Amino acid sequence: MARRVIDPLTRIEGHLRFEVEVEDGVVTDAWVSGSLYRGMEKILLDRRPSDAFYVSQRICGVCPISHGHASTMATEDALGITIPNNARIVRNLIEAAQYIHSHILWFYTLAALDYVDPVKALSADIADTYALAQAAGTGVSDFGAVANRLQAFVDGGQLSIFTNGWFGHPAYAEDMPAELHLIGVAHYLEALEMQARANEIVAIMGGKFPHFMTSLPGGTTFIPTEQKLDDILFRFLELNEWITNTMIPDTLAIAPFYAGAFEYGGGHGNFLSWGVFNDESFEGVNRYMPSGVIKVAEGLTVADADPANVTEDVGRAWYSSPSGLNPSVGEADAEWTDYDTDDRYSWTKAPRYDGAPMEAGPLSRMLVAYLRGVQPVQELVDGALAALGAAGRPEILVSLLGRVAARNLEAKIVSDWSLEWTNELIAAVAGGDSNYFQPHSVDAGQGNGMWEAPRGALGHHITVEGGKIARYQVVTPSTWDCSSRDDDGVRGPMEEALIGTPIIDPERPLEACRVARSFDP
Amino acid sequence: MAHEDHDAIYDLLAARGVSRRDFLKYCGSIAALLGLSQSFVPEIARAVNQAARLQPAVWLHGGACTGCTESMAQLGTPDIATVVLDILSLEFADTLSMAQGEDALAAAEAVFEREGEYILIYEGAVMKGFEGNALRVGGMTGLYELEHAAPGAAAIVAVGSCAVDGGFVMANPNPADATGVQAYLEEKGIDTPVINLPTCPMNPDWVVAVIVDVLLLGSLETGAILDKLDRFNRPKYIFSQTIHDNCPRRGHFENGNFVTEFGTEEEAKGYCLYKVGCKGPQTYTNCPIVRWNRKVSWCVESGAPCIGCGSLDWVDVGAPFLNRHRDLPLPNIGNTQPSTIAGVVAGVAAAGLAVHGIGMKATGRTSGGAPYEEMKERDRKRMKKGGGE
Repeated sequence: MARRVIDPLTRIEGHLRFEVEVEDGVVTDAWVSGSLYRGMEKILLDRRPSDAFYVSQRICGVCPISHGHASTMATEDALGITIPNNARIVRNLIEAAQYIHSHILWFYTLAALDYVDPVKALSADIADTYALAQAAGTGVSDFGAVANRLQAFVDGGQLSIFTNGWFGHPAYAEDMPAELHLIGVAHYLEALEMQARANEIVAIMGGKFPHFMTSLPGGTTFIPTEQKLDDILFRFLELNEWITNTMIPDTLAIAPFYAGAFEYGGGHGNFLSWGVFNDESFEGVNRYMPSGVIKVAEGLTVADADPANVTEDVGRAWYSSPSGLNPSVGEADAEWTDYDTDDRYSWTKAPRYDGAPMEAGPLSRMLVAYLRGVQPVQELVDGALAALGAAGRPEILVSLLGRVAARNLEAKIVSDWSLEWTNELIAAVAGGDSNYFQPHSVDAGQGNGMWEAPRGALGHHITVEGGKIARYQVVTPSTWDCSSRDDDGVRGPMEEALIGTPIIDPERPLEACRVARSFDP
Repeated sequence: MAHEDHDAIYDLLAARGVSRRDFLKYCGSIAALLGLSQSFVPEIARAVNQAARLQPAVWLHGGACTGCTESMAQLGTPDIATVVLDILSLEFADTLSMAQGEDALAAAEAVFEREGEYILIYEGAVMKGFEGNALRVGGMTGLYELEHAAPGAAAIVAVGSCAVDGGFVMANPNPADATGVQAYLEEKGIDTPVINLPTCPMNPDWVVAVIVDVLLLGSLETGAILDKLDRFNRPKYIFSQTIHDNCPRRGHFENGNFVTEFGTEEEAKGYCLYKVGCKGPQTYTNCPIVRWNRKVSWCVESGAPCIGCGSLDWVDVGAPFLNRHRDLPLPNIGNTQPSTIAGVVAGVAAAGLAVHGIGMKATGRTSGGAPYEEMKERDRKRMKKGGGE
């Protein structure tokens, strides 16, 4: 039995460490440690609720839009504010642009190098690469130029961000053709353009990305002009075309070479979504991606999700505040002891729903939406399952490959909806609705902002007294997924998902890195 | 520059998949940022291309949100791929490195051994809390990583407000005892020059401009870069004018056309946001010129008042962000010109505005809108110290 440590886990947002026990080529135990404490919740105390909109975004530079929205929704819940319909649509569009950016960035920039080996791409035949791209129905780039650029780069001898990569690792699919590796490299470069295009939409509606400016409590300060609506629509169209004709076909072309990843990486099989993208009712269950809770062990059925059922344990994390508090009355008093996997080993608390660990993220949302009968989700998931030879078996999505596929399929769905919502906004503006902001004067209350970042369930919880913040707690998706063990010793979702992962080379546990990254922590 | 040189450069660029037009556009934007005339474009082009070797660099994350890396990924011309494949050899970067774990750290280690040859880019606050265990990397503290990386670097670029002075992380009560790179290195007696690029996140165009300026044009070796920095080690060509100075809505300010409440006709007309808390008058960055996300927009253009994220101690100085800044008397700071006061006196950044406000009050332009903040106890303490630092 060997203990193997990966620290830092690169190609993620933030700082993360994990350790795995490997026995007979399989992971038998795992510990995941969040390595950074900043104390955001204490920084927000005694400030104005609107300040939390700006500052709390800085929790995450990859998903600041979701934090901004959860914060502003918590304040609106606390102070009884209902935002105008136009503001609802504007927020959905900004959120959608961030989702599209985040999912593209995750698959190509962060995760792809675990599946695509740039060195293998060097031996691709260019004509065959075009033929393969056409057969796979994916986007055609100037593959010759990409190959030349890659060759010139390798010949230069300075490997930049590829230095010390695990090239030629045996866990790269042996039978995946060099031409598909080259397609992956070409689209890695295209994806950098596309994620930036998505963020141009955020900048148009929110001033800049990361960290946007406009979704203040009460609505939005962005008032569209015809020109800006046009600028937004043509970018969403370009992204939709690229996701449909490059990202989805790439996913379906690469997945069969890693079909073994349907067999492990699933974890507890507990899924939580608070729901995201409001319709006119503003109800979690009615959101485009609705809220819900699934425990696969109890059957493929979905129950309503209630923030009152959340508690946080801290027995294995570096906090001295009590375990078992609901976030609306939560505390976070940091207390460093020592790094010890038998005792305390993480800055990440252990949130639990009805006492159980919950996976958060696109897989949770897609499963909840599927079981709640959201039609475009059902059609897309059923189609992908059929394409991968698993028709009628949605349960196989509870796996590493399922988690990867769910994220990419969600990018397609959100992208489709973004066009619908842009047209909805255009129609509202054309119809003369010019209301974007609801002034407000209440200065006390308690509220919850339950929302979904691209990487999963997010809750901001605020208590306002005399116009100032008296209590603020945040439960992020990575707190759910990268949770330390709870006070009963039950592993967090990522820890559990690592169990059973096959490891070809214990010195270089690439498969375990894939599982950890699949959560987009 | 001879014609044949041009052609050699463009052949090389063509091999890298970069068109001549895009490349010249990118050199032109760097020239503009550096305050150089467009006649310098060929020189910049040659400087970028003549390096047979890519410039070694390491990008470390302190107490970061990864937002500055994200911002870097939004670069237009050159795009981020050009930066990390054709300009820098970025041999360790938390968010981009193919390697992981100890292999990734070993790549960084190999760079640190090449004393004086590499640029260190640092994102996020320096985390001193819990004996440095507020941030742990590779089984060590984040402080150890910085102390290890800093001494051998040719220069350190502190990207984003967190790396500059601790940013939001050091806002009251500073729960994790955060600080900035320059302050921490001074504490440790490490004298590697630090170039500070505040705002939250930093604008990626500035990073490219600084890299080109510092290393490819050789201004580090000659010491010329130091002359280009202000007393807070920020490049003057970026941070010497206020947002208010260059704001496209400045005309509305001068004409007395203000937004006094969101959701109003005045807001739809794009009037000046000063009365709903805009920190443009006291925030020293060139945001209105450089703009954001491939220049498509910036905060004020989206209808949002500036929150002053480029000011030092920006959260405690700027919040409550939607209130107008507390009106402060000028502290005793000697002969400093009023136009630079706000930039210099970080802790009482309203000073410059207070001077400006004399004229504004005379014309009645300060009435209405959001309330002014009262002076805070912490401001008084800083004022007593006489410098606000």
